[in-house]
Amino acid sequence: MIRLILQVLAASAGTVGFSLLFGVPARYYPYCGLIGGIGWLVYLCVLPGATAAIATFCATVVIILLSRWFAVRKRCPATLFLISGIFPLVPGAGIYWAAYYTITNQLQLALETGYGAVKAAVAIVLGIVVVFELPEKWFHTRTSR
Amino acid sequence: MEHARQDREVLSAALEAGKLLLENGAEIFRVEDTIYRICRHFGLTSANAFVLSNGIFLTSGNEEDNEAQFAKVLLIPVNRTNLGRVAEVNQLSRQIESGAYTIQQVRDELKRIQQMPEFPEKLQIAAAGFSGACFSHLFGGGFQDALCTMGIGMLLYIYLLKLGKPHFSKILCNILGSALVTFLSLLCYRFHMGTHLEAMLVGGIIIMVPGVAFTNGIRDMADGDYISGSVRMLDAILVFLCIAMGVGFMMTIYNTITGGMLL
Repeated sequence: MIRLILQVLAASAGTVGFSLLFGVPARYYPYCGLIGGIGWLVYLCVLPGATAAIATFCATVVIILLSRWFAVRKRCPATLFLISGIFPLVPGAGIYWAAYYTITNQLQLALETGYGAVKAAVAIVLGIVVVFELPEKWFHTRTSR
Repeated sequence: MEHARQDREVLSAALEAGKLLLENGAEIFRVEDTIYRICRHFGLTSANAFVLSNGIFLTSGNEEDNEAQFAKVLLIPVNRTNLGRVAEVNQLSRQIESGAYTIQQVRDELKRIQQMPEFPEKLQIAAAGFSGACFSHLFGGGFQDALCTMGIGMLLYIYLLKLGKPHFSKILCNILGSALVTFLSLLCYRFHMGTHLEAMLVGGIIIMVPGVAFTNGIRDMADGDYISGSVRMLDAILVFLCIAMGVGFMMTIYNTITGGMLL
């Protein structure tokens, strides 16, 4: 449990750090952190019961739903929230293992990990495409307009 | 004649806004949308924009409406992403639509956004190290690993700012960057400063991951902007491959020196 909280906090903090690198104004950091943390929480919760690709997909969907929701509330582009929020899900470890197994001549494992990284990337793609197809008006509630 | 000059100013302002958006990491659809909004608001209905990932083609004018003939092409080199500027231009375009600005004020405001200061370099370097440390924890690292990754991330970002981006091509910059991360991680691992090699390494290379190109590429494709989308995706894939190459390169050297037994 403590491990989970620490992980989510680390994801939030890391997301805020990336927001700064991308020049996001400081007033949006709480939302960026929240989105990064929740995304990683979803990923961790789904992971035990599914494959990494499905967990990545679910987390991406949540991240982008939240990004669009905050974008409407804060009247700014959703890009501000989602680019850094999506970073924890990028298959960085997959790249590393694929490179590692390739140079140690374990081609079977290299293919498996590389393929896993591609699957995670495709899951992110699907998540982004699906959620951005949702009509804009779903994100407006009566209070916001 | 006065009318033509006014139209020309509107188009220049719209082009300027589009340039700011494009070079700071906005999607193609947003760039086009903003250009049309500005033109329409100032009564220029004949404007046509064609936006690519690194250029804007903008024309206006037709015989019937007596609007001035005008065309401009702008090549926009890939710049550092600054989403703050995207947000500001977006805000500006909303305010223009509500009628708050004259064309001269729009141009002044765009100039102000253009000159908006970035975060100081020291802060960026610290943020890179801090994010790296956080991500190394996500990938299974402990406290010691996080500390090492913080150092690695900061050194990497100093390299990117001072040496890599200004002097090398993008390909070489990324290969050397990930080789640097791998070298430093191996060093930390070898001298027992960190215990999880993978966590340190991944925490370091994630700073170079092309998140903006990747997400914008997907969104451009989804919007039907296939040319820009595929260029951006290609950019992202190239960077991913370069990162993998840098890691592989450095590990091969390490394995050759140590006989391949120590990993």
